[in-house]
Amino acid sequence: MGSADEQHLGTDQGRILIHPLAPPLDQEQAITLSSSNSLGTLPAPTASGRFLHRHETLRGYLLLSPTLIVLALAILIPFGLLFTMSFWSMSGYDMVRTPTLGNYAAILEQPMYGALLSRSLMVAAIATGVTVILSYPVAYYVAFHVYRHKMLWIILLTLPFWTSYLLRIFAWRVVLGYEGALNSSLMGLGLIEAPLQAFLYSKTAVTIALAHAWAAFAILPIYVSLEKIDKSYLEAAADLGDTPARRFWRITLPLSLPGVVSAFFLMFIPTVGDYVTPAMLGGPDGMMIGNLIQAQFGPINNWPMGAALSLVMLMAVAVAGAVFLLLTRLVRR
Amino acid sequence: MDVQDQIGAMKEGKLSRRAFNRSLFALGITTVMVPLPARRAMAAAEDQATYFTWGGFDIPDYFVEYQAKHGEVPNFAAFGGTEEALVKLRSGFVADVVHPCLSGVPRWVDSGLFQPIDTSRLSNWPDVIPELYNVDFNMKDGKPWLAPFDWGQTSITYRTDLFEVKGEESWDMLWDPRYAGKLGLLSSGGDAWWCGAIKAGVPLSQIDSEEAFQKISAAMREQRPLIRTYTDDTTTLNQAIAAGELVAAMTWNSSAVELKAQGVPVKFAQPKEGALTWVCGVMLHKDAPHLDRAYDVIDSLISVPSGVFNIGSYGYGHSNRKAFDGFDDATLKGLGLSKNPVEILQAGHFQTPQTAEWEARMNSTWEQIKAGF
Repeated sequence: MGSADEQHLGTDQGRILIHPLAPPLDQEQAITLSSSNSLGTLPAPTASGRFLHRHETLRGYLLLSPTLIVLALAILIPFGLLFTMSFWSMSGYDMVRTPTLGNYAAILEQPMYGALLSRSLMVAAIATGVTVILSYPVAYYVAFHVYRHKMLWIILLTLPFWTSYLLRIFAWRVVLGYEGALNSSLMGLGLIEAPLQAFLYSKTAVTIALAHAWAAFAILPIYVSLEKIDKSYLEAAADLGDTPARRFWRITLPLSLPGVVSAFFLMFIPTVGDYVTPAMLGGPDGMMIGNLIQAQFGPINNWPMGAALSLVMLMAVAVAGAVFLLLTRLVRR
Repeated sequence: MDVQDQIGAMKEGKLSRRAFNRSLFALGITTVMVPLPARRAMAAAEDQATYFTWGGFDIPDYFVEYQAKHGEVPNFAAFGGTEEALVKLRSGFVADVVHPCLSGVPRWVDSGLFQPIDTSRLSNWPDVIPELYNVDFNMKDGKPWLAPFDWGQTSITYRTDLFEVKGEESWDMLWDPRYAGKLGLLSSGGDAWWCGAIKAGVPLSQIDSEEAFQKISAAMREQRPLIRTYTDDTTTLNQAIAAGELVAAMTWNSSAVELKAQGVPVKFAQPKEGALTWVCGVMLHKDAPHLDRAYDVIDSLISVPSGVFNIGSYGYGHSNRKAFDGFDDATLKGLGLSKNPVEILQAGHFQTPQTAEWEARMNSTWEQIKAGF
């Protein structure tokens, strides 16, 4: 890879040096330049260069190798550790390294784990569903009805991401809080007499904050898939007598489904394990599996259990994802 | 490369891939380079000792002496509960000075992460009240593991205008169904579980029995539906009490003092069953990278100026007896303090050391109860 780059740079520089508009160099100078830097001409391909040229897969892997190395170091090895650790147990402050299925058995037996896991899946699914449904019209509008300043629109859609995640959560606390914007305006309108406590510290608060925080992740993939749709299909359908509604159901929606599916995954996977949102907005009944995993690695100090819980959550997300994929397959038929 | 041209080209969609990559490259280089000068300016902080402490104690007011000597405050790292802090230290975080409580000392010492404190290096040590550190498990060859710094109570802060006390002040106030959804609790088991024991009538000396676990769990489960939030963040509790969102909450001394200073009508209850009392202090990491400055941190914490701040602004007791000289007895009584700490500590229920197994069991039971099981 390195040699290819140098070649490239070399020719580039060579071209700049002998720019057509530059005052002509005298012969002697030009020769010194090209001979000292061996620029201007391509070096003859070496044996390794030929080898690389012939094996396309190898070239691909070579190109990917920095990413692959990072992936192996930062994901696969920790994942392996997590997997191994999930079969250990704790005795006081010491980890017992004899493999046991105790953690998984506890997760199956005690209702808390299942309940928190299903609550997390529910909250994430609702937040994702709401977000995808609300994002679709926005993406549709930008893809089909915005002709000028499209880039500006895209940038505007990512605007919520320009502030820190924690700040956005605190903003929701200000909006939903006891003396918050929502309560004050309702009281100002005379609709309620005392501030409502129902807004903050609830599953609803968590769902709202998640839906707001991750909106851009839903809009962008849907926008991309809508943008790709060949408009002539729509024209053809119109020519053949389809109503706008039928056109949408038969062409636009099916063709944009890949975007919807990727939006779903982009948002659903990280939100299931979200920790900080329920911690700040959830209250006692809004706790999610991420909070429990944090507690295992924190005050409870049972890392093996935390590892087992993380893996179970991973599997649950995978299963939920597979179910969703199957559903979309069915819808497409 | 003209920025205006580039933006213009981008708007029209005429930006070539090469030009785009070039700007991206330039942007990347810029991003990487930007923090460089800033990092140099911050280099001074790396020479300071790191003080790992409860949120709220990470403020310059405790470091008047340290600042006078070194021109800067130490570096701070904060935790919400001592278990969390110990786990972080055990997994490799190195701070010079840490702020646990006396009841945790045996377990903290067992972790092998600390060294006894050489009190001859502390100029303020002769003024420290001996009753606060002179217990068997805290001394090794005449040197203490923990240098006491603050002491106080965990009790109930309530709104005198919104909470109607029936009879005497009592822990029952936090179990009062009239105020369901308007009660708050500290989230850390290190406080909540122990207060639960007092409410359930379990003597703290028997808190490790099976029966105690049953009784306390039952009390905490009964209380959960009434609780609006469990949090370790005293600011959250204080704001909620000030707003009237909470009418009573389990807090330390500081919440009541701070709220009173804001003009909120609150009182720090003296429950008839007795409050939970504790002594906290600082321990020295065995591999403290800035040992000399670590001693200066400790010396500054036990100095008179930080004691005066601790008593006057936070309402906690302090370990330096001279710090009390500026306060009259009436003020101290109002804060639930006394020049003789033993008086207060014995009147309440004093936290005692427990085993690691107990802590693990307590914390996991407590997390389950908070989650609703």
